[in-house]
Amino acid sequence: MKKKKWLGIAMTAVLAIGSLAACSNDEKTTGSSSGKGDSSTITFWAPFSGPDGPRMKSIVEDYNKSQSEYKVDFQIVPQSDYYKTVDLSFSGQKNGPDVMIMHRDQLPTYVEKKLVKDVTETAEKAGVKEENYAETAWEGGQIDGKQYGIPLDIHPLVFYYNKDLFKQAGLDPEKPPTNREEFLDAAKKLTDSSKNQYGFVVPTLWPNQFIYPTVLFQNGGELLKDGKPNYNSPEGVEALTFLSDLVKKEKVSPANVQQDGEVTLFLQGKNAMHLNGPWMMEQWDKAKLNYGVAPVPQLGTKQQAVYANAHNFVIPASVKDEKKLDATTDFLKYVAENTMEWAKSGQAPASKAVYESAEFQKMKQQPQVAKQFEYAKFAPTVSNWGQISEPLWQEVNLALLGKKDPQKALDDATKKAEQLANK
Amino acid sequence: MNKANRKSQLTSSLFVLPYLLLFTVFLLIPIIYGIWMSLHNWDLLSPVHEFVGLKNYLNIFDPASYLNNLFFTGLKNTLLFVVFSVPLLVVVGLGLALLINSLPARIRGLFRTVYFIPYSVSVSVVAIIWLWILDTNSGLINQYLQKFNLPVIAWLTDMPWAWISLVIATLWWTIGFNMIIFINALNDVSEELYEAGALDGASRWQRFRFITLPSIKPIMLFVLITSTIASFNIYGQPYLMTRGGPGDSTKVLLMNIVDEAFKQRQLGSAAAMSLLMALMMIIISVIQFRISNRKGVE
Repeated sequence: MKKKKWLGIAMTAVLAIGSLAACSNDEKTTGSSSGKGDSSTITFWAPFSGPDGPRMKSIVEDYNKSQSEYKVDFQIVPQSDYYKTVDLSFSGQKNGPDVMIMHRDQLPTYVEKKLVKDVTETAEKAGVKEENYAETAWEGGQIDGKQYGIPLDIHPLVFYYNKDLFKQAGLDPEKPPTNREEFLDAAKKLTDSSKNQYGFVVPTLWPNQFIYPTVLFQNGGELLKDGKPNYNSPEGVEALTFLSDLVKKEKVSPANVQQDGEVTLFLQGKNAMHLNGPWMMEQWDKAKLNYGVAPVPQLGTKQQAVYANAHNFVIPASVKDEKKLDATTDFLKYVAENTMEWAKSGQAPASKAVYESAEFQKMKQQPQVAKQFEYAKFAPTVSNWGQISEPLWQEVNLALLGKKDPQKALDDATKKAEQLANK
Repeated sequence: MNKANRKSQLTSSLFVLPYLLLFTVFLLIPIIYGIWMSLHNWDLLSPVHEFVGLKNYLNIFDPASYLNNLFFTGLKNTLLFVVFSVPLLVVVGLGLALLINSLPARIRGLFRTVYFIPYSVSVSVVAIIWLWILDTNSGLINQYLQKFNLPVIAWLTDMPWAWISLVIATLWWTIGFNMIIFINALNDVSEELYEAGALDGASRWQRFRFITLPSIKPIMLFVLITSTIASFNIYGQPYLMTRGGPGDSTKVLLMNIVDEAFKQRQLGSAAAMSLLMALMMIIISVIQFRISNRKGVE
């Protein structure tokens, strides 16, 4: 009897220790996965979980086939978890990528914490030169005059319109509006509320993160002034008043549009004009819409401008292995010359070799996107833009739902953001 | 005798062991780690995390800090949702259970399954279905309202409709679970009690009030507490359906905690917020338990 008892205890102990050991074993294997193989293999992370994923994958595969010296291990992390995963890998300083994609609006945060490398040397070595890229894109990779990112693309807001509805309203489907006047005129002609059909359905949530700054920039305004929230500038109030008047005064949009409500109506052919990112292309194609694409009309009062974000290649500061850096350099050089595949997902690569080529110019949407490169503007260069801008989107939402006066809404947004900024 | 007893104790401990291990690895250690984090200025991207004592907690209660607003606005919204949803989750769950139990046995199984199915889909599917049904301008319900010349309702962009929509979606999604529990409870009530009641001339309502309800009270308490906890943890429905709007009026506490942790990257204060939230849930559950038990003594 006694023997059995001891056996039991021993077994319990073995079980417990065994499972603990299993845990630590696991840690070891996952911990060293980035170092597996030799340093001629580099890990590349990107958030391309949408239709753009397979495009990048085939670029990487082609690269791996094109030479035998280096190998790129491409890993897609879903968009919604991307920065969470990136942050955790940075905080652990292990199991991270050797090269990764980072959005322009996220870059300042990581630069401030010194987590990404100055790539000036790397770029020089690879022969990746400034003059080979759109100026806006190249400068987008810079913070305080130092180069941290090598651009892949710029994705600005773009203007979509329904050609069938244009024809029905007696408008020329090959001549989309280019300024506020033409836009308003077209919107009114395209609106027929008896048929539930609208000229421009005003979204109240996403993608106002792109639309509102676009009109604000076109008014000559800035989101931040001396690093402080400046949401309630006269230019900002004008922009928000213009947008909310489309619902209230001009009545070219229904009220109370919910998340993605404007997309649904555009797909149903009940929303004639639509502002969204270039990534929407595949959805329109799948729905077999007869749509047109154009640069965003100048809805603001001062100048042409458009809000954009960009994908940049960055190298984590923790990567020190020279051979890996060489591999990255070689890969980036290849990408710079071979991103036509990337354009097929609707994006416009920032490399001149691609967007100035005849093949690219023949595409439908992509050249329209590239036309906006020159005057595209990014989010302000500030850490944690996501959090500082959060009150702005909430108040823009209230104003566009007609629950708050634009001036009051933007005053409140500024106040809340100031509180966030000097936490 | 004694030896056998000990042996059986040992055997039962062995059976508990796997659970205990999982509990330790996935709950106990993270909770302790969370408490540890909440005492630090834990910026996700900084290698150094300085010890700040209770500063994160104090900030939450300091009206000048943005954390104060973040925590209490979120808490208010979460509590509103709990108040709106829990009574319905219990009452409708019980109602459905009674309804199904009074069906002929042959179709009972079918309906039980039908009402339970939504429980097995994920929150993103629930959100997409209800976004389609509730869309202000192209949704199913508003299409019908227009057909009958009724004014359309801004289901997700106006108050109090946004709350109503979130509660309806939650009810549709999770009611099956409460229903099944109630059905089992109802089946356990002894038939003899009803017969005796009927003989004494008790009406249907009286039988329900004085036989059914007291008999299923422990189950009722269980459903009440689990529903409260589930409603406290609301996140997916507003995150996907209203995005916290209009403004921040449906932005619930968990959404704010996730923002603080992964947008602001302040794990320390996010941990403090979640621990306070957990504390509150424990207190509310204990109060519910106490109140119901006291009534039982009377």
